[in-house]
Amino acid sequence: MERTEALLIADLCEGDETALAPLVEKYKRMVYRLAMQITKNHADADDVMQETFIKVYRSIRTFRKDAAFETWLYRIAVNEALNFVKRRERQREATLETAPEAEYEAITRYRVQIANDPHVHAEKAELRHHVTEAVNNLSLKHRTVVILHEFEGLTHAEVASILNCSEGTVRSRLHYARKKLRTMLKSYVDASNI
Amino acid sequence: MRSKCDKIERLLSDYIDGTLSERQTADVALHLRSCKSCKREVVDLKKTNHLLENFYVEPEASDAYYARFTTRLQQRIEQSAPTALHQRLFAAATHLGWHLLTQLHRRIDHSRLGGFLSIRQHAFPYYMFGLTLTMLVVAPLLLNQVSTHDDGSHVLGRLYAAAKIRFFSADSSLSVQPTAALAIKQDKSGAQPTDIRRNVSSGRTTETPVIDSGSEVWLFTDEPMTEGYIFTTLQENDSDTVPSVALDIDSELLAYAEIPTQGAFWARLTGRDVLTENRYTLLLLQGMDAGQHALQQYERKRIGFKGFSQKLLDVPLETLSISEVYDSREL
Repeated sequence: MERTEALLIADLCEGDETALAPLVEKYKRMVYRLAMQITKNHADADDVMQETFIKVYRSIRTFRKDAAFETWLYRIAVNEALNFVKRRERQREATLETAPEAEYEAITRYRVQIANDPHVHAEKAELRHHVTEAVNNLSLKHRTVVILHEFEGLTHAEVASILNCSEGTVRSRLHYARKKLRTMLKSYVDASNI
Repeated sequence: MRSKCDKIERLLSDYIDGTLSERQTADVALHLRSCKSCKREVVDLKKTNHLLENFYVEPEASDAYYARFTTRLQQRIEQSAPTALHQRLFAAATHLGWHLLTQLHRRIDHSRLGGFLSIRQHAFPYYMFGLTLTMLVVAPLLLNQVSTHDDGSHVLGRLYAAAKIRFFSADSSLSVQPTAALAIKQDKSGAQPTDIRRNVSSGRTTETPVIDSGSEVWLFTDEPMTEGYIFTTLQENDSDTVPSVALDIDSELLAYAEIPTQGAFWARLTGRDVLTENRYTLLLLQGMDAGQHALQQYERKRIGFKGFSQKLLDVPLETLSISEVYDSREL
């Protein structure tokens, strides 16, 4: 019989390691998506995934049962990814290495390429590329809020809880992020007929 | 008009999302009727949202990658979860018990009594083993009952600062700026520290810790870290779960230990009274397994906790001593 999420969590708290696999199975895509969007790099996203689930495993006893597991997991994954990016930037500063923008750009292009149906018009493929790239080019703070609110569909309150900031901060970041996106995508916005 | 626009402009994003109050929504709508500039802004923001909703490509990995990931994660968990000391002791005791019972049985079997028991000769070790097992299971439970009463105030009464932050050799470079450092010189056996010195950061300048040959340096830092068993105090806002490990953005770090090539060491520093006054949270780490114990004992407390290492600097050195050093490889 398939165990419910609550039961899996309870079992994991009791030290039943087998309860972790179904949770990983359920949430791995969400964590990867999140990690990849924040770190913009598959290798880093992979590390973030590992650390996130290891932390879930080790600290499941600290999870309050009356809270939503998904929100808790979001918080761990987002914090892990943000720290990863910050650490990477510090290392880069220390070694005077420049950010591999070309690499990010290539990854985005690859992402779009995979997502595109071969019959899709080239213009649409280009639009996908530019929109995805525009989000990637947002600052870390703005990008994170956009990802959580726009793409993950979390409410302002949930985003605020995950990022440990006020709802006002979330709203403000979201507003400025949208304005930046509008500027970056100006030609497409102007041409859009909605 | 411009100031009105500025005020309204900040609400436009929420206006589009429909998350404004009725009154605010009405205010914005009224303003939009007479302001072309803001109206244009709303249209542009809506178009931008439309582009994001329809053309943003979310990253996705292949099924093969997820399968590999799951396998690697499982391996890592198995590797990183050392058998607890009591489990090893239990296994050793079981093994020894079985061996002794088998020997005993053989001796009995060769004696006169052996004839009496010969019908059950094959079952004998199993009976005895079962009895021993039951005792081994029941005894700790009984002991635990007693110790629970003894340690009724254990969780909140005793206070340790688990503060092993980073371990590095003399020629290692620092990737974090320590706000304090203890240089600990141990005796040859590595069991007892023979010399403890403390270095203190001063403003922006951090003195290089004095490192003699044979010393180990443990750094204390407020900088958020992510690896190892870590424990933080709670945020003031405790309305939602703040797991001890989901820290890092604004949380504060208390403990960290990682020695990639040598396993993990945990140190227990005692500075009980002084630290108690500063209302630090309880931490008790013992070996790799201690994380689990500490988690079980860890109680959430609303405490004002600012700058662990800075507080540590205020602790008189004589009250701070390394009481025990654990090597998880010995467990």
